[in-house]
Amino acid sequence: MTALVQHVLDALSVGSTYALLALGLTLVFSVMNLINFAYGLLLVWGGYAACVLVDAGLPFALVVPLCVLFVTALSVVMGRVAFRPFIGAPQITLLITSFGVLLITQYIAILVFGEKPRVLNTPDFLTGVIAAGGLRVPVLQVVTIASGALVVAAFYGLLHRTPFGAHLRAAAESPETARLMGIRPDRVLMIAFAISGAIAGVVGLLWFAKVGAVTPRSDMEPTLKAFIAIVLGGLGRTSGAMLGGLALGGIEVTMNVVLPSGAITYAQAIVFAVVIALLVLRPGGLSGARTEAA
Amino acid sequence: MVRLALRSDSPPDLLGRLGATAGALLAAGVVTLLGGLLFLAPTMAEIVLLFGINAILVIGFQVFVGNTGIVSFGHVAFMAVGAYAGGIAAMPVLDKEVVLPDLPGALAGTEVGFLPALLVGGAAAALLALLTGPALMRLSGAAASIATLGLLIIVSNVLAQATPLTRGPQSLFGVPENTTFIGVYASLAVVVALSAWFKWSGAGLRARAVRDQPAAAEAAGVSVLRSRLWAFVLSAFITGVAGALYAQLLTAFSPGSFYIPQLVLVIAMAIVGGVGGISGALLGTAVITVINEVLRKVESGVPIAGVEIHAPSGISFAALGVALILMLRWRPSGLLGASEVQVETRAPAPAEAGPARVAGAAVPPVATDRPPAEATVEE
Repeated sequence: MTALVQHVLDALSVGSTYALLALGLTLVFSVMNLINFAYGLLLVWGGYAACVLVDAGLPFALVVPLCVLFVTALSVVMGRVAFRPFIGAPQITLLITSFGVLLITQYIAILVFGEKPRVLNTPDFLTGVIAAGGLRVPVLQVVTIASGALVVAAFYGLLHRTPFGAHLRAAAESPETARLMGIRPDRVLMIAFAISGAIAGVVGLLWFAKVGAVTPRSDMEPTLKAFIAIVLGGLGRTSGAMLGGLALGGIEVTMNVVLPSGAITYAQAIVFAVVIALLVLRPGGLSGARTEAA
Repeated sequence: MVRLALRSDSPPDLLGRLGATAGALLAAGVVTLLGGLLFLAPTMAEIVLLFGINAILVIGFQVFVGNTGIVSFGHVAFMAVGAYAGGIAAMPVLDKEVVLPDLPGALAGTEVGFLPALLVGGAAAALLALLTGPALMRLSGAAASIATLGLLIIVSNVLAQATPLTRGPQSLFGVPENTTFIGVYASLAVVVALSAWFKWSGAGLRARAVRDQPAAAEAAGVSVLRSRLWAFVLSAFITGVAGALYAQLLTAFSPGSFYIPQLVLVIAMAIVGGVGGISGALLGTAVITVINEVLRKVESGVPIAGVEIHAPSGISFAALGVALILMLRWRPSGLLGASEVQVETRAPAPAEAGPARVAGAAVPPVATDRPPAEATVEE
């Protein structure tokens, strides 16, 4: 019984990281059809910012908001410089453009920080473990699940209770009509990039606090997980993104538990195979969203 | 009258199809001639061979992406499978006992020559495409791209873990160095002819009909799945052959050789040249190869105005990124778009509106509203 609870907690914490990643990616996608290959690099830059600030001796309580702010700004700059000229371009053009953005920003990271991994020193309380009953729950796991819930709540509040949110939803649902109503598409896009960047800042901290070190090439794993999550959940829906993220977390943890030790090295391949199989059964993703529109 | 033309619509009959194939072969011939001249310089030999292999790889990529409009991130997986299958097939039996002692009996006891090794590589990749295609080809647009990326990750993971077959993450060595200039460029000619023939075949036209008008094509009785699947299998075969050539040129490689950096290279070459056509694939490969080599020289240091300039390593990838973005911004269909070098035996009839012409009035997958180029060169 305690083992099951433990696994569920594992799945929830992994899944909520993926859900947040997918949420940030989907937000921009819903406004301009961009699937951003460079998204993981925002996490990497956030991770580096945290390393630098922690090493400079700032208290962690200050590092967190500064990092989130930094990544938000970076995301807006990226959107403004690299992606805004491509508003209205076909999905595939955008996808490959973001690939180019990834190559450039990664090179800058290599220039600034070098190829060697840089250790992120997190405060001691984050590495602790809460023991209750037979359960041993890492503090980071609790923090991850809590931040996931908090970010999602804030996100929905923003999306459904503020004028910004209304603009965003309008632009996502019907760009033409939104334009006629006086909503400026490029402004909406910048807001989407800002929110998406803020989410990336939070996830970046959680991700690298867990991994422990940052390299310029640590972006691929989170990017891939986010991609899989949004496709699994159904492209273009925030609810689908979260569902997909949680489902991916669930699948991964289940694979780790049920696979025999001989097959565990193939876990990554099996997870991807399961996801592709699910997509064949439901090409529109778990939430049955619009994927068929090529 | 025989003349050369650069055009993007389709030849209406068998003669036109032969002309289109001959035109593509002519383009490949020019590339081969230039490569042959450079090959005489000893420092350029390996670059010329790698260029030829990359050209085959990009054409393999183009056969699928150009005809179906789905950008595949998975083709490097076919290259990997081709390299491992072809490389292991070509390895001498005695070396296999040392390098791969746990190889299953039938594989351990056989070794094949250069050409059969290419076919083994291509066939293995085509088989993988045939098995995964029915699932992957159901998806469209970005979802399909991401699913093909999934294929690359699956293959990479399996190659790195299947130690008895591949030596796992360590590099596989002992593949004989069979790849020669003739081998590469003869393969290129065959591959170019094959893909040009496919482009104007019924299967190719159906694939492009599905690309441009999925609903209309389906209503006209074209199977979306099957038309994409043929393009997928053929392109995997070509890519697998490129992998087998690569294996027998480098003689040692690991699963890491076939991952994101190689993917970046293929995509950049295809996008810059124009993913819509074979001529574009050749041109893009040439342009990116030149840029890459120049930057590699800069990385190792060049004197500019008396000062030794060193660029930090990795600059070639950043340059590829810049090239991709500039290209997509200013010329999204690539340098050549969907235009092909074609040999014409009579004046083009622009007003003709047969069914072949409708399907061939190609809107490149990375499309603009720019009209297709129709420059004609008199011979």
